[in-house]
Amino acid sequence: MPDLGRAALVTAFGLLLYATVVGALAAWKRRRRLAASAQNALIAALVASAVASAVLLTALARHDFSFQYVADHTSRELPLRYALTAFWGGQEGSLLLWLLVLCGYGAAAVLTTRRVSRDLLAWTVPVLGFVGSFFAFMLVFVSSPFVTQRAPADGAGLTPSLQNPYMAIHPPMLYLGYVGLTIPFAFGMGALLSRRTDERWIVATRRWTLAAWTFLGVGQLLGAHWAYVEIGWGGYYAWDPVENAALMPWLAATAFLHSVMIQEKRGMLRVWNMVLVALAFCLSIFGTFLTRSGVIQSIHSFAQSPLGGWFLGFICVVTAGTTVLIVARLPLLRARTKLESLVSREATFLYNNLLLVALCLTILWGVVYPLLSELVRGQTSTVSKPYYNFFLHSFGLPLLLLMGIGPLVAWRRASLRTLGRTFLWPLVAAIVAGAALLAAGAGSSRIGVIAYTFCIFVLSSIALEFVRGTRARKALGDESWPHAFSSLVARNRRRYGGYVVHASVVFLAIGIAGSSAYQTVREQRLGVGQSMTVAGRQLVFRGFEQRRTPNHRAIRAVVDVYDGGAHRIARMYPGKNQYFAEQEVSNEVAIRHDLLDGSDLFLIADQVNSDGSIDLKALEKPLVNLIWLAGFVFVGGSLIALWPDAREERRLAERYAGAMARA
Amino acid sequence: MPRNGSPARLVVALSVAAVLAIFLLYTSIAGGTPSLRPSTIAGHTGQVSLAGRVVGHPTGDAHGAGLRFTLRDVKGRATVPVLYRGTVPDLFKSGRDIVVDGRLRSGTFVAVPGSLITKCPSKYAPKHSSN
Repeated sequence: MPDLGRAALVTAFGLLLYATVVGALAAWKRRRRLAASAQNALIAALVASAVASAVLLTALARHDFSFQYVADHTSRELPLRYALTAFWGGQEGSLLLWLLVLCGYGAAAVLTTRRVSRDLLAWTVPVLGFVGSFFAFMLVFVSSPFVTQRAPADGAGLTPSLQNPYMAIHPPMLYLGYVGLTIPFAFGMGALLSRRTDERWIVATRRWTLAAWTFLGVGQLLGAHWAYVEIGWGGYYAWDPVENAALMPWLAATAFLHSVMIQEKRGMLRVWNMVLVALAFCLSIFGTFLTRSGVIQSIHSFAQSPLGGWFLGFICVVTAGTTVLIVARLPLLRARTKLESLVSREATFLYNNLLLVALCLTILWGVVYPLLSELVRGQTSTVSKPYYNFFLHSFGLPLLLLMGIGPLVAWRRASLRTLGRTFLWPLVAAIVAGAALLAAGAGSSRIGVIAYTFCIFVLSSIALEFVRGTRARKALGDESWPHAFSSLVARNRRRYGGYVVHASVVFLAIGIAGSSAYQTVREQRLGVGQSMTVAGRQLVFRGFEQRRTPNHRAIRAVVDVYDGGAHRIARMYPGKNQYFAEQEVSNEVAIRHDLLDGSDLFLIADQVNSDGSIDLKALEKPLVNLIWLAGFVFVGGSLIALWPDAREERRLAERYAGAMARA
Repeated sequence: MPRNGSPARLVVALSVAAVLAIFLLYTSIAGGTPSLRPSTIAGHTGQVSLAGRVVGHPTGDAHGAGLRFTLRDVKGRATVPVLYRGTVPDLFKSGRDIVVDGRLRSGTFVAVPGSLITKCPSKYAPKHSSN
């Protein structure tokens, strides 16, 4: 069994190396049959890595502790579903997942574009092969999941906090996102290498980028929700390096998704797009490196961790190679047109890009700050929440505002008159809403009021766009209103899908602003029968309940929640679980969702005292549920934009028929 | 190269300048918090972040007079006593690696309430912060 796994990995490595070397040779010498064999090698590598993954999954399912990986990450008692999730619970398995997903994406991209963009693929395949070879090399020579040992009686088990349904979905989502960013990168570099620097590589990878970006976004939201309901400190994002590692490539990819539209429409920003796609890719590798190497958690073991060194080397090679390539191709990348006015659609996209990249780079600065300060000053310093919040406000709020402005400004040059007409209603709505918020006492947080005013502005400008578009379609023919609306969206999926995604970002902003700027926190020690008040609600502690299960003891505080008067609205059970085998305690928070106003009442049994009292921490988090709602809207918007569109395909086919004929 | 006076260049230059300005403003106000170990903390009186391993038996009431424990270098022998109030993460116990903010006052590290963070026992687990 382990031999089969090892053989499959060696085969995958060989095939990917073949795809790299032979693919490059074929592209260089323009040998069509050789190029086809390199493509087939890439597809065969998917089969080989799938076999390796199947071997590992089988070993995990069978609790085969002769595999060191299985023994290190599972135990006999571990239920099958968690034993299987241990596939990505450790470093070697995660690398294998990277390889599998990469080969999957690569094969799919080859199969779907091989007919229409053969010339583009010629150099794309060796780039994909090169990235894949790196991971296959790591799996074969540095960090193999198929190391065997004499089977111990039982395995080390999976940390209790990972024995959670989120474990099954959150890491794979992130990996689908991280790895998916390789596709636009490979096509971009392929375009540079083959000197086909028109926007075809962007059109060919648009859906792949969008899909990867959606996965990465959803993966992060799932992680945030996991932290919120399970980890139990009342928050969902802590600017932890590992969380930032996923946020950075997402921000770079967001910038990329926007700037490619400028290149498609106006032929500008070609160098910038290459830089962005390389940045997004490097950051995704960097994210994997941060997550897996433990550099930031234990800075001093940096030099000793073999994996970290390899990854750092790979990032350096990719960065250097990309830089050289872009510089060498600069003459080809010169823009056909230039920016005509600072008030135009192009310009707002440019501002959006600068802000996104600035936010991304300041986060990167914060993440590597401990390493840099150690190098420069000899003393490790860290930056924390205030640093990140400062930049989130400085760059995030203008970004939010731009989201309402950008899509409504005319291409090339906008006049003040049309601007006034376009923005009159959103502006009025925002001012009215801002005044209303101040009157309602939201002025306690200035940032909060600004964020909400911007949110209303953006939402009303999005709504206005839908109304205008629907009205225009209705005027074209005498369709009914719903029909006009659906045909509007169906005919411009990318545009209106984008608006829906924008709306989801607004929901996210409302949720974040509400739950952070306006949250109420109360902590108090309560004896039985005593009470405390949080946000107008009275919490009465009634005593403890205990329950024993085979592997843990559950202690729950019984807390009655009264709505101001004598009316009890809920009974909540915050508490702790004590796990016997692992000798660990876990906080089990109690959350009451209020679906009417989107707020949560969040109770934490902070400390259970021997005299029968409890230290209860209560948080009232307004509008926090909009964050999770945003996730669904986000997926919906992305799906609209991703949905195949026969009309668009035809348009593109006609547009590039000339280019193909020349190729 | 594009001609001089291209608005795109102006935008890029202005935004780079703006970003730098904000950055300088920020770093001059706040800057980072030094991360120290028990062996390197001596002499620091400002607020720092202290990382180490909990040794011995923590005593006291984190929600009352304060929890007292000793922190030792993860790889070393130097120790420092810590006084902490506020939420204690689930994973906190003797032998665990933690990070806590605070300042040294006459030989005892007085922690910022609620700043205690335990590091994961497994480096593959997600965060367990308590801020």
